Amino acid sequence: MNLKDLSIKRKLMLITMLTSGLAVVLSSAGFLIYDLISFRQSLSQDLMTQAEIIGYNSAAAMAFKDESAATVTLSALQAKDDIVSAVLYTHDGKIFAQYVHAKASSRTFPAPPQERGYRFEGSNLEVFRDVTLNGEPVGTLFLQSDMRQWDSRAKRYAIIFLSFVMISGFFALLVSSKLQKLISGPILHLEDTMRMVSATKSYEVRATKFYGDEIGRLIDGFNTMLSEIQHRDTAFHHANDELQTRTLELEGEIVHRKEMQKELLNAKHAAEDANRAKSAFLANMSHELRTPLNAIIGYSEMLEEETHELGKVESVKDLQKIQKAGKHLLALINDVLDLSKIEAGRMGLHLETFEISPMIEEMVATLRPALSKNSNTIQVHLADELGVMRADITKVRQILFNLLSNACKFTDHGTISVDVNRSADQGEDWIRFQVTDSGIGINAKQKANLFQEFTQADVSIARKYGGTGLGLAISYRYARLMKGHIAVESEPGQGSVFTVHLPAKVTPEITGTTQAEKTSEVPAASPEMKSNLDTILVIDDDSVVRDLMSRFLTKLGFHVVAAASGEEGLRLAKQVNPLVVTLDVIMPDCDGWAVLNKLKADPELAEIPVIMVTVVDNESMGFELGASSYLIKPVDRDRLAVLIEKHRLTRSSTVMDAKAFAASLRNASPKKEIGREKETATRNESKTVVPVK
Amino acid sequence: MRKVGLLIVITCLLSAMAIGSHAAGVDSSDSSEYLIKAGFIYNFAKLVEWPTTAFPQPDSPIVIGILGNDPFGATLDRIVADKKIDGRGFAVKRVKWSKDFKDLKDCNILFVSLSEKDHIDSVVEAMKGLPILTIGDVPGFAKRGGIINFTLEDNKVRFEVNVEAAKHADLTISSRLLTLATIVAADGRKPE
Repeated sequence: MNLKDLSIKRKLMLITMLTSGLAVVLSSAGFLIYDLISFRQSLSQDLMTQAEIIGYNSAAAMAFKDESAATVTLSALQAKDDIVSAVLYTHDGKIFAQYVHAKASSRTFPAPPQERGYRFEGSNLEVFRDVTLNGEPVGTLFLQSDMRQWDSRAKRYAIIFLSFVMISGFFALLVSSKLQKLISGPILHLEDTMRMVSATKSYEVRATKFYGDEIGRLIDGFNTMLSEIQHRDTAFHHANDELQTRTLELEGEIVHRKEMQKELLNAKHAAEDANRAKSAFLANMSHELRTPLNAIIGYSEMLEEETHELGKVESVKDLQKIQKAGKHLLALINDVLDLSKIEAGRMGLHLETFEISPMIEEMVATLRPALSKNSNTIQVHLADELGVMRADITKVRQILFNLLSNACKFTDHGTISVDVNRSADQGEDWIRFQVTDSGIGINAKQKANLFQEFTQADVSIARKYGGTGLGLAISYRYARLMKGHIAVESEPGQGSVFTVHLPAKVTPEITGTTQAEKTSEVPAASPEMKSNLDTILVIDDDSVVRDLMSRFLTKLGFHVVAAASGEEGLRLAKQVNPLVVTLDVIMPDCDGWAVLNKLKADPELAEIPVIMVTVVDNESMGFELGASSYLIKPVDRDRLAVLIEKHRLTRSSTVMDAKAFAASLRNASPKKEIGREKETATRNESKTVVPVK
Repeated sequence: MRKVGLLIVITCLLSAMAIGSHAAGVDSSDSSEYLIKAGFIYNFAKLVEWPTTAFPQPDSPIVIGILGNDPFGATLDRIVADKKIDGRGFAVKRVKWSKDFKDLKDCNILFVSLSEKDHIDSVVEAMKGLPILTIGDVPGFAKRGGIINFTLEDNKVRFEVNVEAAKHADLTISSRLLTLATIVAADGRKPE
């Protein structure tokens, strides 16, 4: 065991023992050594005295040359055990008389004369001394002592010394083992207390203070520390309790909140349900509204034409007013419908790649009448190499149309300019459309609500300028749908600048199932098939629509065959093999989707282009099922005419070289439907229909 | 220690006295014999105390007188020359027998040669009461009233001492000398 790791008790005893032992040993040894040295000194003095006496007693014998007397004198030394030998020398160094102790072994005597006085030779003490008679030297005396007194004294001392050390050590041990408790006792007590505190974690324990020394102060300090810890422990427990209470409260609060949240969620669901119901209702209502509007607009147009031919000018104006009101109502309904679709998350993106410049030019051309109405001039700045963009062209067009028609509406005798350019930002190409006008402008408060639905800058504006107030809201949402945005800068009276940023390549957020095309196989056109190129089959359950379509198409020089139901339509299609089929969706028994499906599934009929004419706004569905075009009621008759004419031209060439055409289509893009045509003039190169949440 | 030492001295003395004198190993050829005797005379002077009245002055020399034929020649003069005992030097003179013993009475030590064997009694008679150490070289000299007399034992020079005579002469003879001497008494008496 390491000496340093001994217990304090042992250390104290060790220290005491070592210290006292050292003191005893040193002092005793010092004393003994001193005594032995002085004893040696006295021994030598004794021997000197002895020599003096012997010398004195033998001086006369030497002077009178009496050897026997001298020998007798020397033999008196027999009484002295320690004197080993004695010799008397004459002046010339001869041995005059000698004496050797009976027990002594040594017989050799040193040769005189040697230095007078005593000396220690080995373990012996030797003395040389002049023998004088009345101060006159008569010879030399030599005495040799083996100092046996000294030896025995030293041995005795050693025994005494050892026993003394042992006895004093024993007493020191006894006393130190009692006295060390003065120091080790409190320390051991302190240690016990500490161990107890750390074992039981009870801080109420206090160490007892025994004395007012350093250990006493240490114990005081320890106790103070314990009090502090106890205090903190109490505080800690208190805080802990408080924390627990708080936690419980918080848990209660959380439970309460969760309930609230549940309630809120329920309320939200209810609200959403209500909203959906509203949207559905709105959509339904719009359809319901559109059907009678169809009749109103269609018949008023017919009537206007007929009346015009009859020359009744006043009636014509009235009819035009009816038409105008009807169209306005139609626009309103369309906007409401769009918005409800966006809100319901059913607005899809129909992505295609198109040239930007022709689109803008076409838009501007369309807007000429609106421009001239308030005597505004338009400036178009198209950057060079605008190129193509991939987006939903209908929605882009609608955004720009809204902005431009707003600009026309709120500007009088002013200038409207359109700037389009392309820029790169964050690794993407962006197309920027900027519509600037010098109109009445918008103030800050109006700006904040500008893109909110049903909000016009001012209530009075609606009265003065008309409009639904939905245009900007729809534009804004369309831009967001295509991951772009619209910004406005305006000062009242200074005009406005609307800037639309759209990615040059809009990516669909989710690729849905809409791309899966059921009818990817293009049925080979039968060369024998002969199409009736001037017959158009109209399938609609609404007699008004059938009537209007028949009248209009007949006027254009087509032969019209009408069917009131899906089954009838299919039968007639096979029978007449028409140039084009116009197809309604909502019909009793067999709806338009089923009819379209069956038409495309029939190899004989698959070639016939189908133009959907319906109130149901679901272009994606139509194209997916194989429709060529999609028109929403009430039908824009001019557009219908254009579409039919296009199909007529395409089909005549198809019939001429049906075989080659089918082959080229299969090679170029097998996934593409043949002859699909959108209502736009631009040929669609590729289409992606994306439903947006 | 002192006591022990003293004890030893006493013991030595007692034993020495009990044993008595022994002959010293010295050749007794003429020259060496008188050389030794001359040395003895000098040593006797060391071990004998005279009364203060024996000397006219404190530093007066010890006068050695040689009565009768001088056997020493120059030896004795040489030995004592330059020697001093208690501040006193020595003086050696040859004296002759005369009726008034005038010369003799001036001596402190009187050596009586063998040639004077016939005058011993008268010399002793004349010296009686005087502090003069008489040393005889005549057999029976001490017994006849002389103080010290040389003898020969085994060819070694020894000596006799008449303590009574010394006491009469008011001389103190050291015990150290007595231990070496043969103590004799005057005729008809036992030595004390």
